[in-house]
Order: sequence, then structure tokens, then C-alpha cells
Amino acid sequence: MNTGIARNWYVPVEVFTIRSWLTVAGVANLLLCTVDLLREDSLSLLMRMSAAILMLLTVPVIPNEGLASRLRMRRDAAICLAALSLFATVLCIGSASGAIFDVWAGLLLSLPAMLTIWWLSSPHVSAWSGGKMSNQEVEEGLVRNQRLRGRYSAIGSHLVLLHAAAIVMIPVLWILDVAVSPGNILGGDLFDSFSGEHFSKVIGGDNFWLWTRNSVIVSVGTTLLGLSLAVPAGYAFSRFKFTGRDTAMFSFLLVQMFPGIIILVPYFLLMKSLGLLDSWLGLILAYSVTALPLCVWMLKGFFDTIPRELEEAALLDGCNQMQVFFRVVLPLSLPAVAVTALFSFLAAWNEFLLALTFNTSNDMKTLPVGLASMISSTGQAWGDFAAASLLVSLPVVILFVVFQKFLIQGLSAGGVKG
Amino acid sequence: MVEVRFENVFKRYEDGTEAVRSLNLVVKDGEFLVLVGPSGCGKSTTLRMLAGLEDVTEGQILIDGSVVNHLPPGARGLGMVFQSYALYPHMTVSENLSFGLRMQKGKSRLPADEIASRVSGTAELMELTPMLDKKPKELSGGQRQRVALGRALVRQPKVLLMDEPLSNLDAELRTQMRRELRRLHDELGTTTIYVTHDQIEAMTLADRIAIMDDGELQQHAPPLEAYNSPANDFVQGFLCRHIDEIVETADSIFQRGD
Repeated sequence: MNTGIARNWYVPVEVFTIRSWLTVAGVANLLLCTVDLLREDSLSLLMRMSAAILMLLTVPVIPNEGLASRLRMRRDAAICLAALSLFATVLCIGSASGAIFDVWAGLLLSLPAMLTIWWLSSPHVSAWSGGKMSNQEVEEGLVRNQRLRGRYSAIGSHLVLLHAAAIVMIPVLWILDVAVSPGNILGGDLFDSFSGEHFSKVIGGDNFWLWTRNSVIVSVGTTLLGLSLAVPAGYAFSRFKFTGRDTAMFSFLLVQMFPGIIILVPYFLLMKSLGLLDSWLGLILAYSVTALPLCVWMLKGFFDTIPRELEEAALLDGCNQMQVFFRVVLPLSLPAVAVTALFSFLAAWNEFLLALTFNTSNDMKTLPVGLASMISSTGQAWGDFAAASLLVSLPVVILFVVFQKFLIQGLSAGGVKG
Repeated sequence: MVEVRFENVFKRYEDGTEAVRSLNLVVKDGEFLVLVGPSGCGKSTTLRMLAGLEDVTEGQILIDGSVVNHLPPGARGLGMVFQSYALYPHMTVSENLSFGLRMQKGKSRLPADEIASRVSGTAELMELTPMLDKKPKELSGGQRQRVALGRALVRQPKVLLMDEPLSNLDAELRTQMRRELRRLHDELGTTTIYVTHDQIEAMTLADRIAIMDDGELQQHAPPLEAYNSPANDFVQGFLCRHIDEIVETADSIFQRGD
């Protein structure tokens, strides 16, 4: 290896890692300033913002190539900036309370600056910025980079993903806490006490099972009706040329653009004149029709990817048009059909507005409407409400877990060409 | 006697373009006919009209003396190999082979043990026996090609149609499959119509080549005859000059080697 080149380009892994981490941390802390703004805590806001800005200022100062001039000076300046940021951090944390959120925000503020100081002042980086490394050391450094680079980037991406997961999970944990806490409280510490009373009350009550039955019938009915309409429609749109095809496809999209509340009144009048208020069929019809455009588009998109030659081969093998569809096209489209089925089931399972308007008697309520009625009629039974919400989400979670495996199968791969 | 006869066949699209014009051609029993021409010359359309995948605008196509213009593709007694192989991805090799037999209706439907013996016979012929339980995506390009050919042959078709079947293979495999195809044809004697744009493929495989350009048949003759006495300027340019160029290139390479 030409060590002259290696020497010019060698950068210790700490240096480029801290550059990217500081950028992320700085932006995250700037975003956190909105919390101070909402709390009207001006000292904390000022300190957090200056710490974040100092972090972002540190990034371009950190030298990022061995060729850069005044390596030593830039390294020292970066450490000073990080120390200033740390100072602002201390002032900011000093004014904070001991709540989990504040502890987390404090760590997010202080750890990056501390890590910067630690890493940049480490012997290895010092030797590098002093330009005192021998060729031997540079080569060892390159090996070391290779070893550590993957580890650091894994730590970084996992930290980010952990936050994303926390944002999704915290509301669920909160609901879970409310559901298993005795009494009717929303606040309090997480999981400080446990009681199954809300679950047993919900499961033991008649209403819950009544609503579940309604929801299951409506959702399954919607899925079946929706699919039986969307699958042939999607296939026809994908394969056949007919008058009005493009117009129909476009108007399908157009219908999707209106907010649901616009169709509420006409639907209500229609259902009323058909005598379908307070019935399963009314909801099934309404849901199927509203879910249809998206289902048709999704399925058409998938059918488009199935090669025509497969169908032609089946025709030559003696199939008629129906057999081509059921023997060849449909088995290959099962993943898409599954996604579409899941979509219409979820839409029906979670829908609130139409169900609230159409089915007003307690016997015909669906779960979301039933849940909503628990809040008002029984004097805010938060515990029962939380327990019931978890039970309602359970089938959805199970469906996803079951379908997930199925969706991944790349059935169509490898059938055509090499 | 399986004879394919095109009588004054036209293919016209709605926008007025003519893909095939006034085609008159007889493919004799047991003959290996290669339809060759530049892309867009109508050779594939001709094959697809014979297969029943495209409507015939005007004229008649006869197989075995009877007009097949309005028969569905499956009822014409044809086997077809597609350029992309078009194997059913959700079926195993053996299911792919037997699908056509299982789809037969009424009297022509074979009993299960007959289907099984036909499949195993074809698998043996195509050297597919070890991979009968595999899915197409587990096979190599050459193996897929043989499954596609086996699927076309298992029904013992009156006419075997091939639409550029070798164009997805690498050069070495292509030469090997070309030899294989010729051997199969000599063995089985099935009337075969083969579409390609490759002059060398046409010259080496065919009993007779039919050269098309711009929807019209230019000449049909045994390969050497077409090469020695081209009917017009197009055949001269497309076939003779092309082959001469290849020969010259080869010569110049060898001269350089000396």
C-alpha cells in the first residue's frame, strides 16, 4: 500500500462518527426547544437553544480529512465549542425537574457534548491531529477503523430506531397502564399497581360482546363484499380495453379525494329510504363502496405486474378465460389480495363516523362507537375504556402478525425469464 | 398428415396499420419451418394468429385441413414455447408439465395414470426427472427453457410453435439448445414453426426458412437455396450479406491469429 496516500486520507473513526452524531443531536435538541416554548420556560429555552447551536457549530470545525491544514487548532476549537455547549447544558438541566422526560432531554443534551470532548481528546485523535503518526500507526488505524466503523454505525442507527419505537410504543404503554391500574385514574406513575378489574368488567359485560359481534359481522362482510367486487374490477381494469376505462379509473380516484363527511348526509338519507339504518347490511354496503376505489387501484397495480404470457400459456394449455383467472392469475395475486383484504377489514373495523350515524340503537353499535359511548354515558370510566381499547386492537394486531408472513412471499419471482 | 396452411391472411389493427399482408404459406407435415425477419416484420403476429392469441382480420388459417380461425387457443392442438418461458411460478415442474393435460375437457381428458406416465416420459426426454418437484424459480435459465419445451410437447401437439425461445440464454447454452431442438425434431417429427430474428439460428435449424419484412412474405425456401438465390434485394441484404459479414469477420480474426 502507498502509505503516503493512506496517511493523507486517514481519519480516525471517532472523528467522522462524532460529526454525524452531533448533527443529529443538534437538530433533535433544536426540535426539543419547542417543548420549552410551550412551557414558557425562557431560561431553559435559551440554554437549550445555545447548546444545540453550539453542537451544530462544532460539526464543521471538527477536521474531517488528514490533509486539512491546522488540524491541531481545529481539534482544540471543537473541544472548546463542545465544552461551551456542555456549560449551557448544565444551566439548562439545573432548572429542570426530575421527570422521566426531563432526564431524557438532559441526557440528549449532555451526552453528545461529553462524548465529543472525550473522543477528540483521546490519545489516538491527539496523535492524528498532531500529525505525529508513523506509517505503521496509520495502517493500524485503518484496520481499527474497519473494525469499529460498523459497530458505531450500528449503535447510532439503533439509538435512532429506539426513539422511533418509543414514540410509537409510549401511548400504548400508557393505555396499558391505565387499563391495569385499579380505580379510575389517568395519571400516576407507570405500572405502580396492578389490577385486572377493568378487563374482567369489560369482558364480563354484555355490551362488549354485542358490539364485538356487530363489528366482526360488519368487518368480515365488508371484506368479502369488497373483495368480490374489487378483484374482478381490478382484473378488468388491468387487462381489458373498453370504452370509458380511463374515465372510470380517474373517477375512482376523484371519489377518494372528498372527505368522508361530505357523503354522510346523502348516505344517511339513502339508507333511511332503503330501511337499512340500524342494520349490518347498511354498514357493509357503505364501507365496501367507500373502500372499493383504493382496493381496485391496489389490485389493478398488482395484476399489471403479472405477465400476459402466463395467461397466454394457460390459454394454450386449454383454459378458458375463467380458468385462466382462477388457476393462474388469482393464485399468483394472493399476496395482493391479502393486503387488500386486510385494508378493507381494518377500514371497517376502525370506522366511526358512519357507524355512529347509521346504527344508533345499543344492540347494533360497532366497537368504536360503543367505546366512545363508554366515555360519556358511564361518567368517564377511563380504566374500562382503556381495557376495551386494548381488546379492540388485539384482533388487528393478530391479523397483521398472521398476514405479515404471507405478504413477504414473493410468489411471482422467477416464473418468467432467467 | 398435419399441414398448416395460411390462405391470404391479413392482420389489420384498429388504427389501420397492417401487421401481416396477404400471407400465403403452407407448412408441410413434419417440417421445421423458421419464420425470420427484422423486428416488427409480422413474424410474431403470424405465429400468434396461428396460436389463437390474435384474431385473424381476413383470410383463413387451416390446421390439418380444417379452418381454425374461430377455435379457442386450447382447442387447436398446439404446443407453444414463449420467449419468456411463461412457466407457472406457483406450480412445481411436474404440475407445470401436467397442467395442460389436466385442463382437457370431456372425451379428450386422460385418466390420471396416463397423465402421470406422459409427464414422466416427457421429463425423461427433456432430462428433467431430478427436478420434477422444484418450483421454476429454483431452476437455471437452461432448465426453465427445457421445462417450457416439455410443457409444449407433453400434450403431443399437432404443431409446435416457438417464439424466439433461445433469446434469453447465453451464447454457449444457445448453441447447445439449438442442437437439442434439432435432435428433438428429428426424433419426434412434430411439425414445427419457429420464430426468430437471428439469421444463423434460422439457417442452422430450418428445413425451410420463410423470410418476412414489413408484414409481407419475401421468400420461402430451404436455407441454402435462399442464400444462393435470394428472391429480392431485401433477402439479399438481410440474409446473404449478413451471413457473408459474419464469415468475413471470422476470417479476419483467424488471419490476425496467423
